[in-house]
Amino acid sequence: MKITVKLFAVLRIGRFTEKELDVPFGSTVEDVVMGLALPPEHVDILLVNGRHVDKEYLLQDGDLLSLLPMVEGG
Amino acid sequence: MRFLTDNNPALEPGSVLYTRCTVDLETGGQDMAEVPCRNLEDVLGGFGRSFQMLAERDIRDAYVEENPLIVNIGLLTGSHAMTGMRSYFSAYSPIKASKKGWPAAMWSAASGKFGAKLKWTGLDELVIEKRSAQPVYIVIRETADGPEVTLQPADHLLGLTTHEKIMALQEQYDDAHFAAIGPAGENWQNVYAGAVAVSTENQLKSKQDKVRFAGRGGMGSLMGYKNVLALVAQSRDQLGRTPEPVKKANLNVIKGGGSARLQPIKRGGGGGTWAAYDVLQAFHAVPVNNFRPQGSDLPERLFRSRVEQEYEIKSEACYRCGITCHNNIHERNADGSPGTFLAKFDYEPLNLLGTNLGLHEAAQAAALIHLCDNYGMDAITTGVTVSYVLSYNQRHPEKPLLNGAHFGDFDKIHDLVKRAGLGQLPEIGQGVKRLSESTGETDYAYHVKGLELPAYQPETNPGYAWAIAGGHMSMGTYGMLAREGKTDLGSWIDAITRDKLQIVGFDMIGLCKFFDIVNGIGTDMVVDCLAAEHGLKVTREELQAAVKRAFLRGLILEQRQGYGKQEYCLPAEVTAKPNRNITLPGLTTPEFLAELEQGVWDIFDREMQELL
Repeated sequence: MKITVKLFAVLRIGRFTEKELDVPFGSTVEDVVMGLALPPEHVDILLVNGRHVDKEYLLQDGDLLSLLPMVEGG
Repeated sequence: MRFLTDNNPALEPGSVLYTRCTVDLETGGQDMAEVPCRNLEDVLGGFGRSFQMLAERDIRDAYVEENPLIVNIGLLTGSHAMTGMRSYFSAYSPIKASKKGWPAAMWSAASGKFGAKLKWTGLDELVIEKRSAQPVYIVIRETADGPEVTLQPADHLLGLTTHEKIMALQEQYDDAHFAAIGPAGENWQNVYAGAVAVSTENQLKSKQDKVRFAGRGGMGSLMGYKNVLALVAQSRDQLGRTPEPVKKANLNVIKGGGSARLQPIKRGGGGGTWAAYDVLQAFHAVPVNNFRPQGSDLPERLFRSRVEQEYEIKSEACYRCGITCHNNIHERNADGSPGTFLAKFDYEPLNLLGTNLGLHEAAQAAALIHLCDNYGMDAITTGVTVSYVLSYNQRHPEKPLLNGAHFGDFDKIHDLVKRAGLGQLPEIGQGVKRLSESTGETDYAYHVKGLELPAYQPETNPGYAWAIAGGHMSMGTYGMLAREGKTDLGSWIDAITRDKLQIVGFDMIGLCKFFDIVNGIGTDMVVDCLAAEHGLKVTREELQAAVKRAFLRGLILEQRQGYGKQEYCLPAEVTAKPNRNITLPGLTTPEFLAELEQGVWDIFDREMQELL
């Protein structure tokens, strides 16, 4: 199935801003994060089609997965 | 601090003594005493102790002789624990006041090295009483006989910026660090948001104005009222070998989840708090034009990736801190090397003196940050009050306020900030609550309980209402919606009344929040550091309970200063004109807020009763 992945902030550096990916049916958000070799300490906010999900969320064909780092104070 | 036993200070607080000097500015007299702690909050220090003293005073106006300025540190200030640099300034605030007009108790925290130097003089707390007839500065020195405190004439410092004062004092005092006010604090009658600037090692070595601040609540203005222009802490550095448990905790701070996201990008980190711009923009939740995001890409112009195309960004750190979260912006020389230092870009000042004023050029935001820093004026209060002026002028082009500045008009905005810092514009210097009450248009004045909001949209954080000393620094709910996606009532009630208030523990113990911003101070890391540094046995649960009691005292003090429950609310515009551009779930409906209020007060009312 095809999904679109959007990266934000530091996650973009040396990678991409937005990309369409082919992933197997049954893939979770965590599978995609690991597949992209993203540093886990920076992947904090997980959105599918604009809604917060957890890493076990099962992706569907056509989903837009957005991955963001944490919001800090200061 | 002196520890008479190695027992648990939660059970035997009286066995822990702290050294306090009370200075009477009117007579020049002083009282140096070792004071037994009353409870674990006293032992931990910071506002946990100072608020107990403030509670003993009946103060109805901040600018009265009976309002003390309490300068203290935390139990881990000046220790080997990473980020253990904090000094605290507490008093009844000139700027934060209830609708009755009575001042709220307030504290403000600073990093820099002043706190550690103060600790090493042997003094744990300085209480500054009354006011001096002449400008003075206070010197706290380490001597063989213990700490020594003297008052010195300060006429030569009058009118100097924060940085200039610190540079002038550095000429006179070796091995010292400094806390100083600027022109804003000196003009306390018209500036209620004066900040206290605190020197850094970087500043003293480079001679560049890389200062840190106790910015919030107008502690610098109260210092100005007292005619105290600066503090000097002179002592030898007193850090030997780092104990193994502390070394382990420090490593965890640097490499663990706690601060990794704040490390410089070149070290694989997220690049400091500035990264909040990118994250919040994904939800169109970066404040724009007085907290009204427009669903546009304008905030992206101050993204780090854009700014570094034109400027050099130096990643720097507080003394001995491995987090390295400072992003200092320099001009770029022709050879690519860093040129003139412009300003430090943290999320709050950058947004509130940039995008939220309709300014999208890094150089313009830097110029305003630089002005606030050098005049010693809180960037948050100043930025929010100016954005109110701009919003008013947009609504009333026929009868604008002040110089008629509008969003994006850098020259006029610069003029407003400059004149405010010099005490020439009380309309701005006295904060947005008073200004909006004078115009009669309070709905779009972005403050809670008289203190201006930091740069997180109130639509994303109903927890602001219960913050006791500024929006994001004393209530850690600012990321709950954007980060965690929490929209259910139970999670919010629980967070406000339990976990997220724990953030204030850092303003007791002497550590920066980035030591472990997620978990607070009730952790094994802190327990281990206290045992290794002071031989204290204390549990995580006892630390959490002490923080909770200190927070509840803050709420009790607010109510004693005249705050009614109707004042624990967000700016009216948030519910009156919901901003559909923000793509996060809409939390701040009148119904949700009413239920939240009920649920939170049900818990806090009971807990406050139990504490009284």
